[in-house]
Amino acid sequence: MADANIVLKAEQLTKVYGTTIKTEVLHGLNFEIHKNEFTSIIGYSGSGKSTLLNILGALDQPTGGDVFFNDISFSKMTQNELADFRNQNLGFIFQFHHLLPEFSALENVLIPTWIKAGRATNVKAARAKELLELVGLKDFIKSKATNLSGGQQQRVAIARALINDPAILLGDEPTGNLDSDSTDQVYGLFRTINETLGTTLLIVTHNDHIAAKSDRVIELTDGNISRDYLNSSFSDEEAFQRVAPVYCKICQHMRVEKHHL
Amino acid sequence: MIFEWKVAMRFLKEGKGQSIFILLGISVGVAVMVFLNTLISGLQENLINQTVGNSSHVWLTGQSAFEQQISGLADDNVVAGNTDPRPVQLSNWQSMIEVLEERDDLRGISPLVEGNAFYVNNSMARPVFIKGFDPQKADEIYNISTRIIKGSSNYDGNNLMVGNTFATDYALEPGDVILLNLPSGVSQSFVISGIFDLGNSAVNSSWMVMDLSRAQKLLGYGNEVTKIEMQVKEIFDAETIDASIASRLDGVVVDNWIESNSSLLAALQSQSASSIMIQVFVLLAVTLGISSVLAVSVVQKSKQLGILKAMGTKSGQASRIFLLQGSILGIIGSLMGAGLGIGLVQMFLWGTSLSTGVPLFPLSIQPQNILVIGIISSLSSTIAAFVPANRSSKLNPVEVIRNG
Repeated sequence: MADANIVLKAEQLTKVYGTTIKTEVLHGLNFEIHKNEFTSIIGYSGSGKSTLLNILGALDQPTGGDVFFNDISFSKMTQNELADFRNQNLGFIFQFHHLLPEFSALENVLIPTWIKAGRATNVKAARAKELLELVGLKDFIKSKATNLSGGQQQRVAIARALINDPAILLGDEPTGNLDSDSTDQVYGLFRTINETLGTTLLIVTHNDHIAAKSDRVIELTDGNISRDYLNSSFSDEEAFQRVAPVYCKICQHMRVEKHHL
Repeated sequence: MIFEWKVAMRFLKEGKGQSIFILLGISVGVAVMVFLNTLISGLQENLINQTVGNSSHVWLTGQSAFEQQISGLADDNVVAGNTDPRPVQLSNWQSMIEVLEERDDLRGISPLVEGNAFYVNNSMARPVFIKGFDPQKADEIYNISTRIIKGSSNYDGNNLMVGNTFATDYALEPGDVILLNLPSGVSQSFVISGIFDLGNSAVNSSWMVMDLSRAQKLLGYGNEVTKIEMQVKEIFDAETIDASIASRLDGVVVDNWIESNSSLLAALQSQSASSIMIQVFVLLAVTLGISSVLAVSVVQKSKQLGILKAMGTKSGQASRIFLLQGSILGIIGSLMGAGLGIGLVQMFLWGTSLSTGVPLFPLSIQPQNILVIGIISSLSSTIAAFVPANRSSKLNPVEVIRNG
């Protein structure tokens, strides 16, 4: 299975919640995530998307099965090794509480380097400023996290997720809390990152526009993969239609708008 | 540790109100401990100083005739009443003093002759106690020369000194002549040269202080003395010094102030014990306070901890963030508390000196005690942070992220 193109591989992933009343939310998932791929995970609430993402992000442990990152098994790593792994190879973007309110935008971006080395090198500090510039927040470097808008905070969170040059960027509904303008900006950023830095993106999303514009869509239904396809095999319109009905019945008329995304 | 330090400091700074409250709590606790500690040790020092500061700490006497008999004839019937009750003189006392003077834990080694007499006045006989001193040596213990309230401190020849209680009782002044009767039947008259106040009413009403040679002659001891008195440099070493002297010198009885003041010492010990109890409970209250505030803080910061852990913060690091907060609060609080405690001591000294001009009793700041209190408080604050730190290390980032 030493396919150099595969960055993340899930094998027979199951997840059971509860001890007395057991609920299986993932039923033995198998899939591979390829390098440099922008993948959206979609599905109704409760379909197991976030659980899957947390397991893929080494935050949560599966009940059965395993995840491999470049052939390295998660199940063989200790908690501390997993923490180091997250710090060095993964970048997280969450829907809520993106930043630590006690710290400035720049400090928030540098936190992952602090965790690793105690202090930030000049190289990292310069990199953090670059990343903040990339996400369009050059003028807010010194601002306290609490003084930024939701969209700005999420962009700082993206810069922070990138500071250690992770192989994979994981987002759990990163635009779920944002207005449509901010959503557009964030999507644009994802694309830029994917194209310029070669980062693999794995985004759980409710936003059908983002899903339609990603490279690949994995749709979860009740803990099983119901669809897994590449958007490139469809026209833009078809791609949008494939994801749209999942979330809204009235989205048909928005087909025209998608071109403006 | 730099990362943990940065986050801990920032959490403390951003939660200013909380941090200040915690610091106040620690400071007040430490201040109470410092003040109480200083007050009690000052009080005790003062009490001990008043009791034994100007008296002998260790003294040697010869074995009495009774003691000599029972040590010689263990199987014979010896009755104390049949033996001579007079103190037995110390033969070769000069060589004993030489031995004692070699020790560097002693000072004011003073030979003396003691005996009983009666002062007869208008057919009333009052028992008095003759003390024949070497004036210079005795001064090292009793400081008589500085405690003369009338007359001169010179008591050579046929002069003697009496206490102020005795002088007041019989309306005596320096220059007056008094007659002393000895149990042997001898009567001798002396001139009062000075009147002293040694701060102890028993002493002030019964001591007849005269020159060693005069007392030797009066009591018929020739060139011998009955007692060697001395002070020790470390007052609470008196018992061990007593034992080491006793082991080196034969045929003498060694006694010390600790044995003869056992009830005072028991009182002082229970006072110390209650002071320590109070300090322990203050410390406990402070520790529980820190622990609960930090525990609340872990809950408040659970979102931040969740994000930090998702970004790769290890459980150990997460717990150290809170341990550090505990130690930082403990150290700063202890420093503030020590300052506040010293302030309280100064206020006490000032407040009690308002009416008399002199403090109720002197208090000396004991840096080593304050250091110990500070270190214990800082350690307790760190220990107080263990429970919150443990919660922080167990916090599951998934829970935080899932629950928004």
